[in-house]
Amino acid sequence: MKFKAFLTQDGVNLLDKRFLPSLDKIGRVCHLYLTRDHAIFLHNLLGGDGIQSVAQFKKEVLFNDYRISSQNEDRIAFAIDVSLLHRALRSAQTIQLQSQDDTAAIQIKLVKKLPVGSLNPAPFLTFETKGLRSAVVQDVPISKPLSRADVVQLQTALDAAQDLPQTLVQVPDLSQLQNLVERLRNVGELLMLAITQYGDLHLQVSTSLITVGSEFRRLKVLGIQADAPSGDQNLSAPTRTEMAIQRGEALSVQVSLKHLAKSLQCHLAKPDCAFYGISPQGVCLTVIFQFFIPGTRLTDKSISFHCRLPVLDTGSN
Amino acid sequence: MSAVAGGAEAPDLVCQLDSVQGMVDALSSVRWKRHQDAVIELSEHGIVLIVEETGCLQAKVYLKRELFLLYEYAAEGRPRFGLSLGLFVDCLNTFSAPGHSTVIEIRYPGPDMQLLLKSMDSPDACTYAEIRTRIPDTISWDYHFEPTGNVPVTFTVRSAVLKEAIEDLEWPGSSVQIRIQPDPPSVTFKAEGHGDLQIDFEYYSNNDLLVAFQCDRILSYRYKYKFLKATTSNLPSSVMKDNRGSKLTIGMGGMLKIQHLVTVLRTVGQHAFNDSVQQPGRIAYIEFFLRPEEDETPIGDE
Repeated sequence: MKFKAFLTQDGVNLLDKRFLPSLDKIGRVCHLYLTRDHAIFLHNLLGGDGIQSVAQFKKEVLFNDYRISSQNEDRIAFAIDVSLLHRALRSAQTIQLQSQDDTAAIQIKLVKKLPVGSLNPAPFLTFETKGLRSAVVQDVPISKPLSRADVVQLQTALDAAQDLPQTLVQVPDLSQLQNLVERLRNVGELLMLAITQYGDLHLQVSTSLITVGSEFRRLKVLGIQADAPSGDQNLSAPTRTEMAIQRGEALSVQVSLKHLAKSLQCHLAKPDCAFYGISPQGVCLTVIFQFFIPGTRLTDKSISFHCRLPVLDTGSN
Repeated sequence: MSAVAGGAEAPDLVCQLDSVQGMVDALSSVRWKRHQDAVIELSEHGIVLIVEETGCLQAKVYLKRELFLLYEYAAEGRPRFGLSLGLFVDCLNTFSAPGHSTVIEIRYPGPDMQLLLKSMDSPDACTYAEIRTRIPDTISWDYHFEPTGNVPVTFTVRSAVLKEAIEDLEWPGSSVQIRIQPDPPSVTFKAEGHGDLQIDFEYYSNNDLLVAFQCDRILSYRYKYKFLKATTSNLPSSVMKDNRGSKLTIGMGGMLKIQHLVTVLRTVGQHAFNDSVQQPGRIAYIEFFLRPEEDETPIGDE
């Protein structure tokens, strides 16, 4: 089992400034899954009842001179502490900047070393920054690489997580939504979220003492869409949603506000747009972040990032 | 008294407000603990919110009708209802987004006697809320305030100074003596407990300290520290920024009345008008009534 590669400058920036801060908010520990073509950061795909997230990069986005080999179709996966990874990356970057030398690229590789005071070698992801005058090595402890069976399970979970909801609505302003969700957290813990095929997103927190809700209408719809029935603008948001569910033109789920707030932390990765959708049968709430090729409005297919929030009660189903 | 639930009659009150943050500020200043029941009283003059700590402390927030963009009052008498102050404030907070000016409509009663709120800004994004109300308890204690003698004993001090003085009095102990005397004109706050701390406000020593002073005899009463603290602990920062004064009056039996003014500014685009002169009268009145401790014979009560 071998892995080594050089980080590209774009890769360093992407991870340091955008993805690692965001992944750290989702959960302290994630899986890093490396294949011949992709590097994928995964949260909670192997069990766990928290929010699942998948951030996938084509290897060229992050790495140069990418070499991987394993007896399991050149696939390697292990668990890693996101904040340690971030610290190692930042310090490697500092050394790289100080050396003022183009050749000071950051190499990462998988190694087994004897930790201080231990008799058993342990696995590390090592960052090596070589300049002309200095070379610095940082070891980030990782879990034992996953077994063949676990990797297969991870790949299966990953394939399953690619299922798209039939209707997705584009959230206009992530920071506005984040602000709303933070304030709703003072009111309750459970949130009803409904998405209609007309492009309405309806959030509602309800307890025995209070009901607070917010509805965003006429959002951009991807996938199955329908025209809003005429005259429904005079109805209240809950009534409209209820009627849409009865007509089969909307789905609603209950999610934890804590999970939703966490998923909104993904805006730290600075996506260009975000879509919300409810998977068929209301199994989960999916949030898909889209990234554009810099300077264009074309989707950058080399990066994909999405979250799946567990559903606490299957509302309309 | 109130409209028939679900009937065609007009609701008791429909009002619109463009300064959610100002209302949150005003209501928060009487929120001294997490779970607090409040009573709201509606009238043609405005909305009054009342909270109290049984028998010791009562606070009122006056939101007069001039603060509202629209104030349609259709009830006879003065409808009263109870709700949770914490929930009401948290709920109002969901309507106030930084950088956006939000107009909200408040309506009472809903079909099930709820208090209904909704945002009015955009047809494509709407926030709404329904707060369950309850039948209020009868007033547990009469906070009727009567001045002592012909000349009310009163002084006005900068709110920021008052707040700071009360915070400083925290460490000595559980009760604070307030003594006011005409000659030389001064007010003394004194706490004794783990140690002693005395804070003197002398009228002649500093013009900025006591803005106004009126007293014809010595009065001295003790007040429980935790209730005294509640009267200033949640004053919004705008009160300090606007350099407002707080007026303290001692009435019959040592009842202490503390009045604050909280600016309820309209937000325009990104910025609030900081100059309250531009929006005169956009003020919420906050009143606290604090009963003295009864452990000793106070000076000044005949």
